[in-house]
Amino acid sequence: MADAELKEKIEELIAANPVLLFMKGTPEMPRCGFSMRVVQVLDSLDVEYGAIDVLPALQPLREVTAEISDWQTFPQLYVKGELLGGADIVEEMFDSGELAEVLGVEQPESAPAAAAPPAQSPPLQIE
Amino acid sequence: MAADLAEIKGMIEAALPGAEVEVIDKTGTGDHLRATVVAAQFAGLSRIAQHRLVKAAVKERFDDGTIHALSLKTGEPG
Repeated sequence: MADAELKEKIEELIAANPVLLFMKGTPEMPRCGFSMRVVQVLDSLDVEYGAIDVLPALQPLREVTAEISDWQTFPQLYVKGELLGGADIVEEMFDSGELAEVLGVEQPESAPAAAAPPAQSPPLQIE
Repeated sequence: MAADLAEIKGMIEAALPGAEVEVIDKTGTGDHLRATVVAAQFAGLSRIAQHRLVKAAVKERFDDGTIHALSLKTGEPG
């Protein structure tokens, strides 16, 4: 059972922020490769978004998002009050151009995967 | 404890009869899996709803710690 006060606060934040990312770490310093991938997508779309670092309250926030959206893993991207998805869905929708459409922004000319080599180290990913 | 890929595939197929399911072990450690699921049941659902169906099918293996991550690609047939 999620903490009622925290749940209410999170629901308010989701309602108040048209684009809201729950992530591990911060956009400046992501602490998880999946969260970093979503940040990179949002940054490449040049979209304004709110970000919440879930690490300081990981378990309580899992319980809250399980109740709100039936989803417990992070990152989670909310658009206009609805959970759009985690890293897989966000990347897939970005690649297809659907994300730009949902967010009401222009799709950049080249996808980040095909863009110039990253200035920083790429996300850690073991394939 | 490594996941039994065939078992995971079977759990998804049982939840979504007729689905085409492929499960691979991304890291060779048996706990970070990737599944591609094509199912007629996904028609009309958002991606997040499609993913929820698949995750619910294998929830038991998340809960018991067998799987740590399951990345998903879902789609409709045809």
